[in-house]
Amino acid sequence: MPLDTSTYNLALLRVDGRRWNELRQQKGQLGVQPSADGSAYLEMGNTKIQCIISGPNERDLSKSTSSASTAPTSNGAGATVAVSIMIAPFATVDRKRRGRNDKRLQEMQTTIASGLAATVQGQSYGPRSTIHISLNVLSQDGSLLACLINAASLALVDAGVPMTDYLVACTAGSTSSYAAADEEADPLLDLNTQEEQELPFLTLATLGATDKVVAMVCESRVQLTRLEGMMATAADGCKGVRDFLDGVVRDKGELMVQEGAIGRGEVVSSMDLD
Amino acid sequence: MPREAEPSQNEKDFILKAVREGHRLDGRALDEFRQLDLKFGDQYGVADVTLGKTRIIAKVTAEVTVPYTDRPFDGIFTITTELSPMASPAFEVNRPTETEVLLSRLLEKTVRRSNALDTESLCLVAGQKCWSIRVDLHVLSHDGNLIDASCLAVVAALRHFRKPDTSMEGDTLTVYTPAEREPVPLSWLHSPFCITFSFFGSISVGEDGEEKDIWLLDTTLLEEQLRVSSCTISMNKHGEICQVAKPGGAPVEAVTVVQCSSLALQKVKDLSDFVDQKLAEDSKHRNKGGLLAELSAENAR
Amino acid sequence: MSSTSQHLLLSPAELAYLHGSLSLITPGPIRPDGRSPTQFRPLTAETGILPGTNGSARICFADGTEAVVGVKAEVEKTPLSPYEFVASTEGRKDHTQKKSGSRKSKKATGDEEDISMDVDEEAAGANDKIRGSPDWVELSVEIPGLRDDDSGTVFLTSMLTEALLADGEFVKKLWINRRFHWKLYLDIILISPPLSYPLPLLSLTTHLALLATRLPRLKSEADEDPMFDDDWAAATFLYPRQDTSAKASNKSSKPSSAAAAPASRPPITLLVMAVGDNIIFDPSKEELAVADSAVAVSVAEGPASESESEPEPESIPATTTKRNLQLLSVRTIDPPSRLTPPGVPNSVNAAAWGTMTAATPTTTTAATASATEGGAAKHPDARVTETEDVVGVWKAPRGGAKFGMLGAMVAKVLEREAASPRSQGAG
Repeated sequence: MPLDTSTYNLALLRVDGRRWNELRQQKGQLGVQPSADGSAYLEMGNTKIQCIISGPNERDLSKSTSSASTAPTSNGAGATVAVSIMIAPFATVDRKRRGRNDKRLQEMQTTIASGLAATVQGQSYGPRSTIHISLNVLSQDGSLLACLINAASLALVDAGVPMTDYLVACTAGSTSSYAAADEEADPLLDLNTQEEQELPFLTLATLGATDKVVAMVCESRVQLTRLEGMMATAADGCKGVRDFLDGVVRDKGELMVQEGAIGRGEVVSSMDLD
Repeated sequence: MPREAEPSQNEKDFILKAVREGHRLDGRALDEFRQLDLKFGDQYGVADVTLGKTRIIAKVTAEVTVPYTDRPFDGIFTITTELSPMASPAFEVNRPTETEVLLSRLLEKTVRRSNALDTESLCLVAGQKCWSIRVDLHVLSHDGNLIDASCLAVVAALRHFRKPDTSMEGDTLTVYTPAEREPVPLSWLHSPFCITFSFFGSISVGEDGEEKDIWLLDTTLLEEQLRVSSCTISMNKHGEICQVAKPGGAPVEAVTVVQCSSLALQKVKDLSDFVDQKLAEDSKHRNKGGLLAELSAENAR
Repeated sequence: MSSTSQHLLLSPAELAYLHGSLSLITPGPIRPDGRSPTQFRPLTAETGILPGTNGSARICFADGTEAVVGVKAEVEKTPLSPYEFVASTEGRKDHTQKKSGSRKSKKATGDEEDISMDVDEEAAGANDKIRGSPDWVELSVEIPGLRDDDSGTVFLTSMLTEALLADGEFVKKLWINRRFHWKLYLDIILISPPLSYPLPLLSLTTHLALLATRLPRLKSEADEDPMFDDDWAAATFLYPRQDTSAKASNKSSKPSSAAAAPASRPPITLLVMAVGDNIIFDPSKEELAVADSAVAVSVAEGPASESESEPEPESIPATTTKRNLQLLSVRTIDPPSRLTPPGVPNSVNAAAWGTMTAATPTTTTAATASATEGGAAKHPDARVTETEDVVGVWKAPRGGAKFGMLGAMVAKVLEREAASPRSQGAG
C-alpha cells in the first residue's frame, strides 16, 4: 500500500496525525505477572509487548538447546542474559505463524541479549547464572525491536536486576524513499507498520538519555547523508522513552509506598519485598 | 558444543594495550585491510576470496524453476552459507551457530533486500517459469572478518556469473547451451560491500580528557574475540547505505558511528574499484581469442 | 507426560501427608490452600484486550499462571464436496462415460449422486443445509520453553480441539454460504512458565475468548461472494447473546447488549482428580502430585430452550436445572503421582535400623514401578512394601481409576457446572 507522502508536505502531519517528532501513545505497567521474578507490559501505539523474567537462576544445561539467544555480561564474569521472543500468530493483521528458528527473530534475540548484557551488572550473580527474558508480542504495529528492548528494560527493573541505566530504543525514518535524490528529507520519529513498509528507517538503542549507541539496526536503503539526521532524531526519541519508562517506575514506587509495601525513605534493598 | 579456544589473559592484556597505543599484532594500521586477493574459477560464477588467512569460496548456480505463487513476476534468489568444521572447530555441521545466523542475515539484508540483483529480470514466463539463482558460500578458513570477506565473495561471484541465454518464440521457451549462444550476465543494479568496525572501548585524548572510541578494521580472529562490540555498515560506492547493524555490545558514541559511516564509504569505493579491476582482468584473460569478444554483448564494467 | 511432572520437588513423606489429608472422609478433604473440594482457584479475567483480533481474552489464576487467547477469522472458499463436484460436472461426466463405455457400477453411483444433488439443492433453498468441517478450525498452543512438537503441547492441543469439535455444532457457526466459510484460528499462549498443569486455564481462556468473538455482519445474500459490514459495532457474536435470540435480524440491531448472557456457551474442559474416595476440582500442582487418578471432562452448554438430539451416547442431560449441559469428552490424564518415588517404611529402612541388610536400601529406594522381581523375591519384606500399603508411607498409585469413581467424577462435574454459572463474559 503506497503511502501518500505528498500530504505530509502540505500539513506536516503523518498518516496517524502525528508531527514528525512525536512519539506514539505509550502505556507501561510493572509487575503484571505475580508468579514471575519480574514482568512488565508495554504499549507503544498498537505494538503491545508482555515481558516475563525468570531468574537469575542456575544455568540449566538441558535447556541450552532451546531457541533462546544468550549473551554473557561483564566479559563472561557475570550472569548470562537469555532472550526468547514469541510473536503471537494473531499479532499482525493477517494471521501468520512463525517458526522458532526464524532467522529474523534469532537476530533480534541476539541484538536484545547482547544489548542488555551491556547494561546489566551481572557480576553480582556469578558466571553460572542465567536471567531468562521471555518476550511475548501480543500485537504488532511497527517499531517492534525498539518496543521489545524497552519492555525488557522495564521488566528488568521490576525484577530488581542491577543496571547502569535503562536501555531504551526508538525508531526514526526519513520522509521520502531512497530513490528520491532529495537529501533534505525530514526525519520522522517512531514509525508504525505502514510507515515502516514505505520509508527507510533505523532502530537505535541508547544507554538512558546519553548519546551512547548500544545497538543500531537499519535494514533499508538510505542516503549516507541522511543517516546523521535520522540518528539524532532517534536519539531524541530515546530520551523521551527513557523519561516515560522512568515515570512508570517512579509511579510504581509511589504506589508501593502508599500501599505500605515499603516505607518512605527506607533503603532501596527492601524493594525486594514486592 | 565445541567452542573456540579463548585467548589467555596475557595475550588479551598485550593486544588490548597495544591497540590502545595504536599498534596491531601484525603491524597494520588500525584502519588497514589485510592482503586481499580475489580469484575467479574456470567456470563462471566462482569467486575465491582470500583476506589474510581467511578464505572463502562463493559459487553461483542457476536453474529454471517455478516462481513462488505470491510473487509470479520475480525470480528466486537465495544465498546459503555454510560454516563447516573445516573453517574452525567451533562450527558444527547441521547446527547453525549464532555467527552463521548473523552472517546469513547480514548477506540477506546487504545483497538481497537492497535489490542488488534485479529479481524481476529473472522471470521467464510470468507465474510459470523463472530462473532460480543460488549462491553457495563456503568458508574454508576462518581467521576473522568473515562478514566483509563473504560479502565481497558473493558480490564478485554474482557479477562474474553468466546464465544461459534464453529466447521466447510464441509459447516455447528455449534455453541455449553455452556452445549455441554466449551466456549472459545477470542484471546487476549496484554493488554493496560490508565494512565491519570492531570497537575496543575508549581512551581519553587531549587535555580535557575527551573520550574517544577505539576501533579496528578487518580484525583477525584473535582480535575479534577481544572486541567489546562491532558495527557492520553496508554501502555501495554511490553512498547509499544498504544496511547498518550494531547488534548490542558495549556502547559507543553516536558521533563515532557517523564518523565510521563516512570512512566506510571510502573503503567501499576502494573495494568496488578492486572488484571492477579484477573482473576486467578476468574478462580480458577469457577473451584472448578475440572471437568471443565480438560475440559477447558485455559492456566493460 | 513431561508438562505435568515439572517442578515437582516433594519428598515421599510430604506426599504421604498430602495424600492423607486429601483423602480424609469425615471432615472432607483438607486442601493445602484451604479451598473446598469443588472450589476453583480465584482468577482475574478480561476480554477484548486486543482490538486487532476477532476475539481475545486473558485469564490470570491466583497462583500466577496466565494465558492469552486470540481468535482470528478469515474468509475461505469451501472446496466443493464430492457431491457438489459431481453435480456441477454431471452432464460432462455422463457424456464421457458414455463415450468410453464405462462400467455399469460407475453409472449407478452417478445416478445416486444425481438424486442426492437434487436433495442438496432443495435443502439449500430451505436454508437449513448448513454443514461444517473440522478443518475450519485451527488451534495452536504455545507453552514457553516447550517445542511445538513436544508431546505435552500436542496433547493439550488435541484435547482442546476435540472438545470444540466434539458435537459438530461449533463448526456450523462458521458457515457463510455454500461456497464460503469462516476459517477460525485459535491461538492459545501461556504467558507464565507452566507452574501447574495448564489445561483448565487454557480451556477457560479459550472459552472466554470464544464468548467475546465477533464476526463482521454479512451483507450479501445466499451464495454470492460474501460482503461484510464495515461497522464493527454491527458485528455479530459467534455465540449470540440471550436476548437477541435466534433470529439474525434481531442480532444485528442490538450489538450493545454485551451484558446479556449468551444462549449457548463454548465447551469448557475441567480437570478433576480423585484421591481415595474424594473428588477434587481444579487441583493445584501439589495436589495433582498425589492424585490416584485425574480426568479431563469437557462440557458444553446448548441453547436452553431447544431440544437437541444428543450427539454422544453417554450424554447426561441435566434434569435438575433448565440448563442444557452436554458431556463432550472424557480423557484420563496420567497424573505425575505415578512417577513419584515411594517412601520406605521403617521396618525395611537401614537408616532407621530396620531388619534389612546393608544391600537392601538400594533395591527398595530404587524400586519404583519397575522394581526387579529377583530383588523382591530375595527380601520378603521389600516385597511387602511394594504390594501392600503401609499406613503413612507414600506409594505411587498404580492401575486405573475405578469405573464407579470415574462415573462419579463426571456426574459431579455436570452437577457442579449446572449449579453455578461461571465466568461471566465481557469484563
